[in-house]
Amino acid sequence: MEMNIYGYKCKRCGHVQYPYRTICCNCHENDHNEFDIVPLAKNGKLLTYTLLYNPPADFELVYLALGIVELEDGHRITGQLQIKQPCVGMKVTGKVELVRKDEYNKYYGMVFYEA
Amino acid sequence: MRDVFVAGIGITSFTRLEYPLVEIAAYPGLMAMRESGIKTIDQLYVANMGGCRVNHQTGLASAVVDNLSLTPAAADSIENGPASGASAIKQGFMAVASGVCDVVMVIGAERMREVNNLEATDFVATLTHPMAEYIYGVTLPSLAGMFARLYMDKYGITSRHLAMVAVKNHKHAMDNFYAHLHEEVTLEGILDSPDATTNNPIIADPLRFYDMCPVSDGGACLILTTADIAKKTGKPMVRLAGVGQATDTHAVHDRKDPTDLMAVREAAKRSFAMAGLKPKDVNVAELHDAFTILEIVESEEVGFFEKGQGHIALQEGYTKIGGKLPINPSGGLKAKGHPVGATGVGQAHEIVLQLRGEAGKRQVKNAKVGFTCNFGGFGNNVVCLTFVREG
Amino acid sequence: MSVDVEKLLRPIDTPLPEFPAKYMTLAGGEQLVIRQVTRDEIPDILPHVEPLMHVERDFYDIVASRVYAELLGFYMHRVQDEYVLAAQIEGELVAIVNGRIVNPDVGMSYHTLALRRGLRIGAHAFAAKMEYHMDVLGQKEVLIVAESPIGFRRWMIEYKLEKRFHIPHELGGCPSYSLTRELFEAARGSLIVGRRPVPEKLLKKAQAAILAPTDPPRPPADLLAATRSLYDSTATALLGQRNKLGGTGNA
Repeated sequence: MEMNIYGYKCKRCGHVQYPYRTICCNCHENDHNEFDIVPLAKNGKLLTYTLLYNPPADFELVYLALGIVELEDGHRITGQLQIKQPCVGMKVTGKVELVRKDEYNKYYGMVFYEA
Repeated sequence: MRDVFVAGIGITSFTRLEYPLVEIAAYPGLMAMRESGIKTIDQLYVANMGGCRVNHQTGLASAVVDNLSLTPAAADSIENGPASGASAIKQGFMAVASGVCDVVMVIGAERMREVNNLEATDFVATLTHPMAEYIYGVTLPSLAGMFARLYMDKYGITSRHLAMVAVKNHKHAMDNFYAHLHEEVTLEGILDSPDATTNNPIIADPLRFYDMCPVSDGGACLILTTADIAKKTGKPMVRLAGVGQATDTHAVHDRKDPTDLMAVREAAKRSFAMAGLKPKDVNVAELHDAFTILEIVESEEVGFFEKGQGHIALQEGYTKIGGKLPINPSGGLKAKGHPVGATGVGQAHEIVLQLRGEAGKRQVKNAKVGFTCNFGGFGNNVVCLTFVREG
Repeated sequence: MSVDVEKLLRPIDTPLPEFPAKYMTLAGGEQLVIRQVTRDEIPDILPHVEPLMHVERDFYDIVASRVYAELLGFYMHRVQDEYVLAAQIEGELVAIVNGRIVNPDVGMSYHTLALRRGLRIGAHAFAAKMEYHMDVLGQKEVLIVAESPIGFRRWMIEYKLEKRFHIPHELGGCPSYSLTRELFEAARGSLIVGRRPVPEKLLKKAQAAILAPTDPPRPPADLLAATRSLYDSTATALLGQRNKLGGTGNA
């Protein structure tokens, strides 16, 4: 089953925000939970990245590649990169996968590959 | 609004301290009280970020107020990530300026080294956005790395400039008894020599080991009060003239311009406005260089240099002691240390020492106006303070 | 008669090539020299290791105690094929690494003890040890364990060591990790640094004498505060033990 990252579309003004905010950052008029969920685009452009050589303890990796991607629909998202040689401006495509696991929980998020 | 003055200061060494967190907080309080002769207070603010998580101590201010035998004074704990220190000073300022309190003690304290390095980094990472950043394993160094990459590409800053910040700050710290690191580093050792890849490994590309501050324990204290009470101490009068705070989006990717630190700019503007001063009036500054790139960027955003000129100023030697505008004479977070909750108060402590003329070998000549910038989160909550020497 | 018994008690050491000394520049600009030490130099090293046996933090007490035992075992010919490398700055001892050759293909890494904190000296010393096993002795793999979490991060994770959990390590039967030749080659570029040969003057200074460390790890200054900070507010057991051993000078 394909998973998505969701943006939150305000029922009053239609502005889609990601991540979640209780009050719509555009109109500030909504009531509690007055949002529809809208899947975010999966393709985009890599804005910046880093290779983190001291990742948190639950990552037993030599380094963790992280990046900020500007998606086709205009939203920006942070994600892990499965890209050998990332470079600023490259086209990427994302999939929602397992990104972190600690003793009790599994966390799912965006992982980007070269497009 | 009344004028607010600094009557007493105290600080511990920023290093690895084998004392419980409450005592690390209490010691600078004791020093400040002895120095100023003040024996009772109306209100205590204790700034701390990790007490609940890393030290198993909640209600820190309540514990400290009793440890100092200052009950029944009012006491509150302030948590604002790495900007807790300056936030607590802001609260103290508001209490005295408004007339509600006459004597307020502000303490910042942190004991991060109670746990090992991995856990300490993880605890600092909890300030990231839980759903959009934390789950990916984002830590503060990785946010700094992503920011640094964009900034360096845009303005032409190189690893050499970053290394120059580290060399400058380490040199300053050699004259600072309280600093964490008392080791001079050379450009040869951390950048030029072939052994630099092991001496100065990449931590969060493009940032390296010597671009990041150490993990430290420490505490600092400021006593804020009215002009009359401050005059009685007989010390040079230092006034907290301006306080400014501003916030930005929680998730770093959400910022309007990813190379912009809007919150720093705004907070500095507000602080200068309240003090009735301009950036060019400042003689000495303590900026938040948890990562060396931040010292350069903050020096531009607060208004000392044009955008993209900060690294040129560094290169020309403007920002070292003896230069036109010394930045981080104490060694900054890079060499003095970064006990997250105490840092803001530690920066203020250094500025007060400078303005009083008591900074010894690190003294900046004729320092009349001092400025601090305490950077919380990764630029999403920034507090700036402006201090002025009166008389 | 005693001479014959001694012959029985001594293992026969395999002749092994010497570690060619190397040097590198540290972050502060100082030169670090790493060289192999002979049995005769061990008595000069022991007094510098001994105080660390009493520093009860960061695993210094257990590592120093074991290193002391291993150095003594080497000195008194009771451990087969052990080697010891020392790292010096201006003659001052700043790190000791040691290990043993199990057979021509397999090495057993013992310990890395840093006598000056920071400056990545431990990392340089450990890398030199691996270079000895792989490049100088031409072995196929080295078995490694870590006592402290820092060691675990630096070696197991940074070098991506392979698990060899079915092989007990000589240091205590805990799960071994292995540095294989492939992993070593992969790490060579970034983790193994230093140059040879060591300049004449620098090498002479290092060989002349092993000087005492100027800033070794020390036990906490305020013993009671340290115990308060570890939730043992009475410190009774600790103080009692110290008093029996001759006092702390700081009650």
